Amino acid sequence: MLNFLNFRLNKTFLIFLVFLVVIAIWKPIPLIYGLQRGGLYSLIGLPLALILGIVGILNLAHGDFLTLGLYIGYIFFTQLGLDPLISVFPLFILMFLLAIGIYQISIKYVLKAGELNQLLLTFGISMVIIELIKIIWTTRPRNIYTPYASSSITIANFSIGIYEFIYPIVAIGVLVFLQLFLKKTLLGQATRAVGQNPKGAEIVGIDTNKVYLIVFAIAFGIIGIAAGIMLPRTSIFPLSGNAYTLKAFALAAMAGLGNLNGILIGGITLGVVEAVVQSIPGYSGWSDLVFFGVLIIVILIRAYRGSES
Amino acid sequence: MKKILTPLIAVIATGLLIFLPFYTGAYFLHVVMTILIYMTLSLSWDMMLRTGQLSFGVAGFFGVGAYVSIVSFSNFGINPIFSIFLAGGFIALIALALGFVVLKLRGIYFAITTLALTTVFSVIIRNTPRLTGGASGKVIPNVIFQGDSSKIYWLILALALSTILISEIFSRTRVHFAINSIRTDEVVAKSTGINIFKYLIIIFIITAAIQGVTGAVYSQQYGFVSPETTFSLDFLLLPMAMALVGGIYSTWGPVIGAIVLGFASEYLKLIMPYGHLIIYGIIIILIILFLPKGIFGSLKSKIQSSK
Repeated sequence: MLNFLNFRLNKTFLIFLVFLVVIAIWKPIPLIYGLQRGGLYSLIGLPLALILGIVGILNLAHGDFLTLGLYIGYIFFTQLGLDPLISVFPLFILMFLLAIGIYQISIKYVLKAGELNQLLLTFGISMVIIELIKIIWTTRPRNIYTPYASSSITIANFSIGIYEFIYPIVAIGVLVFLQLFLKKTLLGQATRAVGQNPKGAEIVGIDTNKVYLIVFAIAFGIIGIAAGIMLPRTSIFPLSGNAYTLKAFALAAMAGLGNLNGILIGGITLGVVEAVVQSIPGYSGWSDLVFFGVLIIVILIRAYRGSES
Repeated sequence: MKKILTPLIAVIATGLLIFLPFYTGAYFLHVVMTILIYMTLSLSWDMMLRTGQLSFGVAGFFGVGAYVSIVSFSNFGINPIFSIFLAGGFIALIALALGFVVLKLRGIYFAITTLALTTVFSVIIRNTPRLTGGASGKVIPNVIFQGDSSKIYWLILALALSTILISEIFSRTRVHFAINSIRTDEVVAKSTGINIFKYLIIIFIITAAIQGVTGAVYSQQYGFVSPETTFSLDFLLLPMAMALVGGIYSTWGPVIGAIVLGFASEYLKLIMPYGHLIIYGIIIILIILFLPKGIFGSLKSKIQSSK
């Protein structure tokens, strides 16, 4: 039944399972924290990996769009009294449309312009979003309160939030949806073809421009979902999402372009390692290095492998 | 005609700049100093870019340089001027060690790794509070030259002029041809026998050291470092915007860009105290979309095509 997910019992997956079991015996509480956090990383990493793998553009404004989604969700909550979990639907649609707009007025023109221009363009977009948010909402952090988000259970003196389990669940849901879309629909198959060989796809009559547009729109829609889900447990300020850009890229680089299942495995692994480092007294500040350490190591290993061949 | 004119303008401009403190007020001098600091960063970023490597490590090297200078001065009592050189040397060593590893990377991987390095540096500094003051930063009791703004200005001017000089030397010697060939076609460059890696690492070390020294001078000017402000992405974004506006792959592009955007930003700050950075973002986007060669690059190709 899980065949379409490609979750075959390969080596990576087995190592991943062994890793989880070892951590479960050694540090069960950080494992749970890590699973929750890793789910969130995966959820945010998936859309970035989708754009990077298929369109080939690294969107440096990724996290800032997440921040934008958080603020829009905040407005839905305060002005319309919309529950964050329901606001996921309008957020999806809003971000979908926003992506179409941004693609049409800017991204479209740098597709063939080389990596430097693409990176700088998305960097510029990121700057504009952050500054716009600062002008409209100031830098004051905001929070929303929903009764269900603060429920928790207590195991052996540790209290664990229940709400956060939604992150891995939604991440898996989004992954299943994406895999079904890519494998079962005609448009999805065209998308995969473009991802593998844009020129070839164009020759057989696929409208690459349309595919890129749709990939952007879907990815942004997922960012909208992530924003809605994060809302009850996140402090909202202009740089809320910013920290996730590099982390999402770290995941994409780790998993390898186009490997969406790898994002889930990688995200949870890094989330767990981070939680374990944080649980060591006196060294919690160093947990930020986990992601970047892994990012640099993985990129280097890939680069050296690439140069050998 | 052109051969005499260009050095003449350069000499006159340098002379005017050296005597500037005698003619202007403190505010204008301060604006010029800020512009020169960003100009140095912008130029050093562009020098690396000329090899085809997009470095996002500017803010990181700037920040570490600032910390080395302040820490060596306040913890070990090293003379401030010497601490600036120490910062340059320290960053050069870091760049040498890192260069062997990261310069094997190309394209987005190099860019992202250098961006991640900035975060790594700031995490390390945040977590070694005994040495660096941790998250709250470090203040030194007195700034360099007892706060004599003319002397600080000359120091910054000397740094900016040396950077311009280094950039010009690069563009006039064989290094220039090596760099350009690496950027345009690495495979061809390799096959003509150019030792790509040697040139890449030399330029990486020099530009990183310049960024470190700039950070050291900046921190001595204000007498203060903290993880938030010293590793601010502003020290990456604004220099990049300046180089883009002026025109990348040249000495004069970043210089022109720094002057234009520097004065523009001062003006914007006055009329729009909050969120003036949004203009920078919009400028970057518009330049990428409509004027990819920048002011200097576009002017140059216009002159060349009219000949």
